[in-house]
Parts: sequence; structure tokens; C-alpha cells
Amino acid sequence: MIRKPAMVAFLVGSVLCAAWLSGCKKTAAVTPSQAFGSYDTEPDWNDATKLISLGYEESQGRRVFYQYCVWCHADATPAGPSNRSNVTPTPALMNDGEKLNGESDEYMQNIITLGGSALGKSAMMPPYGKTLSPDEIKQVIAFTRAIAQPAYQKPGRPGSQYATKP
Amino acid sequence: MPAEEMGKLSDRLRLTFAVSTVLCVLVLAISPVKDYRAEWKQYKRSFVRFAQGRPDTKRLLADYSPNIDQVWLPGMNVTDRCTTCHQGVSQPSLAEASVPQPFRAHPPIPHNVRDWGCTICHRGQGPATEVAEAHETTLAWEKPILPAHYLQASCGSCHQANIKETPQLVRGRELLAYLNCQGCHKLAGLEHPALGPDLSSVGYKVSREWIYKWLKEPRTVLDKDGNITVNGYESGDESRMPKFRLKEEEIKALSGFLSVQKAKPIETYKIPPGVVAAWSKNPELISQGEVRFRQMMCTTCHPLSVTRAGETKLIGGNIGPELTKVGTKVNELWLIAWLRNPKGYLEHANMPRYGWSDEDLYKVSQYVMNKLTDSDLLTNIPQLGAATDEEVKMGKRLFAEKGCASCHSLNGLGTQKDFGPDLTALGGKNASELEFSKAKIQHNLVSYIQTKLQDPVSVNPAARMPEYSWNQADLEAVTTALLSQTGPAPTSALQHLVLAKKDASFQPVGAFAELYERYKCYACHKFDGYGGTLAPDLSYEGSRAQKKWIAEFLQNPQTIRPTLILRMPQFNMSEQNAGIVADYLALAVQKPDIDPTSVDAKQLTPQMAAMGKQLYEVKYQCQSCHTIGGTGGYVGPNLNNAGNWLTTAWIEAWLRNPQALQPDTIEPRRNFTEDEIRALTAYLMTLRTGIKQQNTKNAANGSTSGQGAGR
Repeated sequence: MIRKPAMVAFLVGSVLCAAWLSGCKKTAAVTPSQAFGSYDTEPDWNDATKLISLGYEESQGRRVFYQYCVWCHADATPAGPSNRSNVTPTPALMNDGEKLNGESDEYMQNIITLGGSALGKSAMMPPYGKTLSPDEIKQVIAFTRAIAQPAYQKPGRPGSQYATKP
Repeated sequence: MPAEEMGKLSDRLRLTFAVSTVLCVLVLAISPVKDYRAEWKQYKRSFVRFAQGRPDTKRLLADYSPNIDQVWLPGMNVTDRCTTCHQGVSQPSLAEASVPQPFRAHPPIPHNVRDWGCTICHRGQGPATEVAEAHETTLAWEKPILPAHYLQASCGSCHQANIKETPQLVRGRELLAYLNCQGCHKLAGLEHPALGPDLSSVGYKVSREWIYKWLKEPRTVLDKDGNITVNGYESGDESRMPKFRLKEEEIKALSGFLSVQKAKPIETYKIPPGVVAAWSKNPELISQGEVRFRQMMCTTCHPLSVTRAGETKLIGGNIGPELTKVGTKVNELWLIAWLRNPKGYLEHANMPRYGWSDEDLYKVSQYVMNKLTDSDLLTNIPQLGAATDEEVKMGKRLFAEKGCASCHSLNGLGTQKDFGPDLTALGGKNASELEFSKAKIQHNLVSYIQTKLQDPVSVNPAARMPEYSWNQADLEAVTTALLSQTGPAPTSALQHLVLAKKDASFQPVGAFAELYERYKCYACHKFDGYGGTLAPDLSYEGSRAQKKWIAEFLQNPQTIRPTLILRMPQFNMSEQNAGIVADYLALAVQKPDIDPTSVDAKQLTPQMAAMGKQLYEVKYQCQSCHTIGGTGGYVGPNLNNAGNWLTTAWIEAWLRNPQALQPDTIEPRRNFTEDEIRALTAYLMTLRTGIKQQNTKNAANGSTSGQGAGR
């Protein structure tokens, strides 16, 4: 019976070994590194040192915005001064969270698609429904939400079909 | 051993058997336990738990299976098991950023995951079933996933023509071409090298001292702290000449060698003494020269640096070289010869041949030589004197060795083929195929490319590549463009996915061809997809503008778009030449489906015009973007002279669908009725500067006659 402790040690060892073999991979899982960085960025309009990271959709919206909307909905454009001051009533700045965070995505989509006059607003906002695709319009809205100051929060509707359970 | 004990096992043996049985069972159990705890199965189970915590459980789990999920597309060499863990990839309700990865939905893109797989765009290991192996470099598998920030590189692997959805890639490709990377490297999609100046006769143009300075520091504009803030990447207009790591004696030798290059004498032109005598003592000479310089819109192509409030900025286009200190650079005789006929010195010059009067030529050249100077530029340069034979010999050798010949042609020294490494497959390389030397950077392709671009020697001490100064955005753009160089499609089956770039060309004929070449219309304007991007696309100019207007505009260009800083230069074009160009554009450069006779101008009545005015001002409020009179927006062109400028057929076609005529125009397509279109056209045709007196400059030659609007 001299070898009994050795046996026990071997037994315990093999069980531990089995546990290790089956469980080791859990610790090897990688944490998201720089490889999963953001798709694109946009400097905060009020503070150029702050970068807002954009996903694919928002970044496509950024492209559409800088082609079609920037001329009236920003104070400076890539091609010089903006047209905003020439338009009355003055168009909203696209990052104006106080003004736009309250509007639903659906409303924003309508006003871009149908234009201002269709929604009882200024006819100076032309309809873009025949120029931009519905996807592009959604992307522009996503971009607007991403750069909004104060930050945009999706309206929480507790109990509705869209809410997640805690 | 007693007989009764025969066949019986000893206690010890029993224990041995018992233990080994237990061991056997345990060992056998390892495999199922391991299998149960496999990483991907944990993600499977956690997705079920996640789905059960949501209201749309049923839809989320509709096609759930506990097995490995795989997109297998043999035709494209795709075996992607990514959807095993990324189970919500095509569930629109999981698009929210609050949904934890790996369950979040993929943003909607034109390529469906079931038809394209994942690794075609994201790279990484498709068949892997463990997080580390799928995403990162492991011992067995090297291809890591492409960082999201450089994803557009994958679009570029197939889409060789530029697409609007990938601005970063487009910018990167632009830079590769602009900086002439293909001069030394083989790059897919960049066959034609954009040559730097031919140096065969450079000895006539600049002094040896200036060459010395240029080789030492190819950026000549510094801010007050001595930092390069302009003409470096911070202004977006990098000097195309990079900085080579040259030793003092190498710079001396090269400058000596270049200063004796005088292959073709310059066409010296003597400004008539009468003009010189009349102006040389005039205190107005320089200031008038500046006025002409500005009026002729030289800054449309050539930037000048301007310092305001301590900040130095380049103002102007980037088609030609920056001219802030050019007076200290070039020889006056050369400058006059160049201004008169750029092609006489440089065969591939992009500079138009202006029509100069002797007076203007004298004034402008004096302004350039005396005002665009910097007396300090050459002060710290050693006295070099004439080049010795030895220096010339060494310079000639260096010119070839350093790769100067890749961009600059020079008599007797042709460009070298394959001077730098072939980069057509760089984007598909594994980290183990790259040389990192002692650089303390992450061993992956992206950081390799970025380090190499910024500091070539750090990853390869023997690198011949010169140094560029990048800003972060351009560095990332070029990295993206290089990552998109993934060589030929991985399998021949994939080749059909590659969307090749169309070869654009525009071949004008006759007298116009000569003028097209003389005025370098293509440097700024596009014709049928060929040419520059600075100015409007003229592919359909003949359908858009009236012939008379084109001829007048060419002789005296005015600004149609109020906010433009870069405008059409004043070519001093003769009436005859303007007529030739206008004739050619009006007849041969048309959009075939616009019938110029489709609208009879006689149909346009004053009542229609009045209704058009109402529509313009009240219903559609076009003034938000367009200016008429002094009021309106600055987004679209001003319409003050629309009646003399545009054709009725063009206005109608444009109002029906602007994007059909110019795909990237921002004017939205509206729901006009045909009556409204006719009314707006009638209104626009009544707008003539001859009547409204808006554009005072143009009023002189603006038509006042009430001739029919349609040609």
C-alpha cells in the first residue's frame, strides 16, 4: 500500500488535467483590440479636438450630408462659406440636438423625402425623395443622430415591442 | 500460493483495476466535455439566452440550429463560419448599438452575407471556429481581420473603378497617382506614370544653389516657427517632390550635375525696349503686374501662401506648383519664355498658352520676379560655383541610383523599370512575409504599411524610398488604397467579380483639337469622363449653353457661381479662337437625347413667364439656392443671364431630371408637371443681364436684343 498516495495524486492530477483541457480555451478568448476600430470618424462640430466614431451607416450618411445638405445645414462647407445665412427661416444646424433630438426618425425621413412645404414648413427645403434612395435618407438621419449635441437618445418606450427586457 | 487463493485477485490488483477503470472513463469524458464547452457552442447557447430575453424571441430563433453555421460559396472560394457566432447578422431588429457583439446585425450594404460571405470584405479566417483564430494572427493561421477603419480596401479589390461609397479609398488612389507612386512601384490600376518635370534643360531654368536647397528641403514655405505647415500635408497640397536622405556631397554632386543640363536652349524673347522704357520706371509696374496676375486667375492652378494672424495658409488650386517664392527660383529669361510658350520648354506641360500682350508679359514677369521672392531662401547655401567633372560624373550615377529617373526624364537617362518593389499584391501579404527590422511596431500589415510610409528606414535600413510628410487622414487613405492592392483575384473563378476601370478618352478633331491642347481645357474640365475635376464637366456643353454665350464667355469669363475662389482663367483668347471652340462645343459635344428643337421658343408666352416667376419665388422657392438680381442663395449657379446662357431644351430636360444630365448634381429632382416645366423655362428665358444690368462686367457684351431664346 505504499503507492496509494501516488495513485491518489495521479487521480487528482488527471481530473485537474481534464478540467484544464476542457476549460482552458475560455481564458484564451480575445478582447476586442484595435483591430475592431471604428469605421470612420467625424470631428465634433463644437469641439474639433473631439472625434465622434461613426459606423458604416453613419459614415455613408456623412458622405451624403457633405454632398447635399452641408450647404444650408452647417455654418461652413468644404467649398467655403455656407448658404445658411441666405435662407429664411434659418435652417437647423444638423448637430443641433436641442432642435432635432425631439423629432422622430419618421418625421425626419418625411421632411427629407417630401420637402418642407409638404409638412407645413418652409418650401426652401426641397424634397429629396427622388434624388436620394430611402437607404441614403436613413443614413443621413443616422449621421445626424451621431453628431447631435446634446447627444441623441433613442426614445425609450418601456413595455413596447421594441424594448429589451432588463 | 495456496490453491484456494488461485483465481482470486489481490486487493492491490483490485484497486489497480478500479483506478484504471475510473481513469479510462475520465479520459473518455474529456472529449465530450471539451466539445460541450467549445467556444462557438457557448456563443450558440448565449444567443438563445439573449433571444429569450427579448420580445421577438420567436423570430430571432426561427432558423436556429445548434450546429456550426456556414456560408459555403465554392465559386468564390468562401467557407465562412462567422455566422456561427454572429447569429444576428441578418436580423434587422438587432441593429441597435446596445445589442452586444457578436449578435449585432450587419448594417445594410449592397452585398448580402448569404451571397458573398464575410471574409471577402472583412478578411480573417472563414473556417475558424474560435474567436482568436478567426480574427487575429495565430500560429496556424496568419490572415487577421481587416480593421474596420480600412474596410474600404476590400471594396477596392473588386471595384477598380471608383465608387462613391468609398471616399477614403478614392482619396488614397488619388494620392497614389498624384504622388506618382507608380513611378517606382508597380500598382494595379495605375499604369501611366504622372511625370515630374523633364530636367533636360533645367540648367537654364534655375541656379545650382536653388537645386541644392530644393534637394535638401523640397518644401519652401515655412511658418513663423520654422515648421513646415504649408506645402506639407497639413495644407492638403503636398509638394510632389519627396525628401531624399542625401549626404552633403551627394547633394553637391546632384546639383552640379543638374546645373549643367542644358540640352535645348530656351526660346528667348526680348520684350520690346519701348515697353520696358515706358514701364520700368513706373512705380505702378509691380502693383499692376499683381492686378494682371490676379485677373488672369493664375491662382486657379497655382497656390500662393498667405499669412494671416500668424497662420500660414496656401490659397489657390493645386494643379500647378506653388509660386510663393518662385521669383528667387527661376531665371527671368526662362520665365518669359515659359509664359509665352510652356510647351517650348516642357513637352507635357499642363499650363495653357496664354495670349500675351508685351505690356502684360512685362508687368506680370516683373511682378513674379520682384514680389514672389524670399531673399533669405538661399542665404545658408554654401558657395558652390561651377560644377567639376567629378561632381557631374557622380551626380549622373546618383541620378540613376536614387531613382530620380523614375519621375524625371533627362536626356539619355530613361526611366528604370521596376525600380521599387511590385506592390500589386501587397494588400494580401501575411506579416511573416514582411520585413520589420528592429521597428517597435505591431507585426501586422497595417502598421507595416503606415510605418513604411512615414519612416521607410525604420522597417528597412537599406530602403531607397524617400520621405513624405502625411497628415493622418491622408496616411489612412493611402494605407487603404495599398491594402486594396490584393493582386489578381485569388481564384480564376473570382476574376469575373473584378469590375475593371473604363478607359476614358476624348479625342477632339480639327482646329478645336489644337486649341484644346493649347488652352489645356482638360486640366480642369472633364469631357466624356476624361480630364480634371476642378471645373464643370463639359461633356454636354453643346446641349447646355448657347453658342453665342460660349464664345463671349471664353473671351471674358465671369463667375457663374458666386462663391467660387478658383475661376476660369482669362486666356486673352481671340474672337476667332473663341468662335472655333464655341462652334465645336455647340455642335460636337452634345447629349444625344436632348433634341435642341424640342421646344419652340415662340411657344413661351409672357403669361407662362409670369406663372414661372410665381412658381420660382413662391411655390418652389428656388431662391434658397439660386441668385437672381442681388438676392438668393449661393449654392446653385446664378441665373441672372440664364436667358442668354442656357438652351430651352436643356432647361426642360434639367427640370425633369437633373441627375440624368449630371449624376452628382445636388439639385434635387422634383415633381414638376409639364406645364410647370414650361412655365419655369419661359421665366428663365426672360432673365438676361442686358435687361437686368446685374453683372456690370458682362453687361457690355451681354446681348440686349430680344432675339428668340432657342437657337
